Amino acid sequence: MARSFQEMGSRISSVLLIVFLCISVLLMVCFSREGEDGLLHGLQSRFLMVSTPIQTIGAYAGAGIEAAQEGAADASASEETLSALRDRNEELTNLLTQAEEYRLEAERLRGLLDIKDAYDIEGVTGNVIGRSSDAWNQTITIDVGSANGVENGMSVMGPNGVIGQIISTSPGSSVVRLLSDPKSGAAAMVQSSRTDGVVRGSLTGSLYLTNVEAGSSLAVGDVILTSGLGGSYIKGLLIGTIVRIDGSPTDGMQSILVAANEEVSSLEEVIVVFSASSDVTVSTVPKASADTSSSGEGDEAGNQAGGES
Amino acid sequence: MIGAPMRIMKIVGAIICVLLQIILAPYITIGFAMPNFILAFVLVCALLEPSNPDYILPFVLGLIFDLISAGTIGALTFVCVLFTFVLSKLFILINNDTLFIPLALLALGCFCSEIAYGFLLILCGMDVSFLEAFMYRMLPCGLYDTVICLIAYPILLRVLSAQGGPGDISILS
Repeated sequence: MARSFQEMGSRISSVLLIVFLCISVLLMVCFSREGEDGLLHGLQSRFLMVSTPIQTIGAYAGAGIEAAQEGAADASASEETLSALRDRNEELTNLLTQAEEYRLEAERLRGLLDIKDAYDIEGVTGNVIGRSSDAWNQTITIDVGSANGVENGMSVMGPNGVIGQIISTSPGSSVVRLLSDPKSGAAAMVQSSRTDGVVRGSLTGSLYLTNVEAGSSLAVGDVILTSGLGGSYIKGLLIGTIVRIDGSPTDGMQSILVAANEEVSSLEEVIVVFSASSDVTVSTVPKASADTSSSGEGDEAGNQAGGES
Repeated sequence: MIGAPMRIMKIVGAIICVLLQIILAPYITIGFAMPNFILAFVLVCALLEPSNPDYILPFVLGLIFDLISAGTIGALTFVCVLFTFVLSKLFILINNDTLFIPLALLALGCFCSEIAYGFLLILCGMDVSFLEAFMYRMLPCGLYDTVICLIAYPILLRVLSAQGGPGDISILS
């Protein structure tokens, strides 16, 4: 009797295994084949939105982790010294922290205002409230959504240039796929030569200019803008600058590394662009143009590339 | 039949893992590696009750992960279910009542499941080379998951044993 129950349990277990594996494969195939407006994409978008309020707790958790690290550093000092200084410093530290927060916020907002003026942008400003919860996707969540006029496919800019595109919205929040994500692709052009290409992300977070016509004359320091082709990004938004060119321009197999103008990890406020002027020149964009100091890799690559071009 | 302590521990653990994945994981990345608490929990559960593996939990947890991440739906679901089966069968085959076997299996499971997940993402259209994915995601994430598994397994075994569950705590001594 017991044995027959065990056999039945084992059979059910095997059936479940096969059924679940088949459902998983079916889901993968359907998800890959359906478009952005498909049922599974819509379901995923809704789940992403549901998880947004929980993600905001993560911001506090992040602050908690930093506090714990500071606490560990403080523990190495003597208790006597700490207690003597703690009271005296507390008030001043609080004031200083508050003032520094205001100063940084004002600086960031001034940057956004500058770029808004430079591009004559119509859009809405939002705060970053969450980041991707898995290693394979590079997304951020912002606190403006469809209630503020945000729609899927809109371009998103930081103080120094374009950072990505809206992939899902809810009334109060939106998810932005960053340019550095491997699934991202932005139709781009080189500002000086008007050469077209596609800027793609990678798993390392670097940007690469691909699909460039063989024989195009490119040089380190060339500024890359969105070209507006395909309609995915508004034309003329700053992406970054070329910092390294590997390979020969004639064989069409060039690897062109682009340093993004924006350090996404430190972003706290962004603009979702509804419309913008496309005839902007990069020189009018604050802190932009040939500033290649946005990432360590870019810097290094730029230095290496000095003699190559 | 799954015992009550095991069932409770699995449900509580699953909820905690989902919350950790959403709240904590984005803030404890090391380089390119972000921990996958959900995958780690599923693999540990597969070894806690290898003779009667539960496929519903890995399926549900994998699906939740796929839905809350911006990745391909079904990919981690497939990996979780498949590796629950593979690890539980392997454990039954080579278990010698020492702590080494489950820990070695967990390490192997973490790396292989991350490789399988990355491979599925590439198959489903992620535009990266396998080598790049292996170097920058599979390997570091697998290592991170292994560390979590190696911490979680003895703890869950002890908790389960204290609750009168099927965990054999003698291997910890």
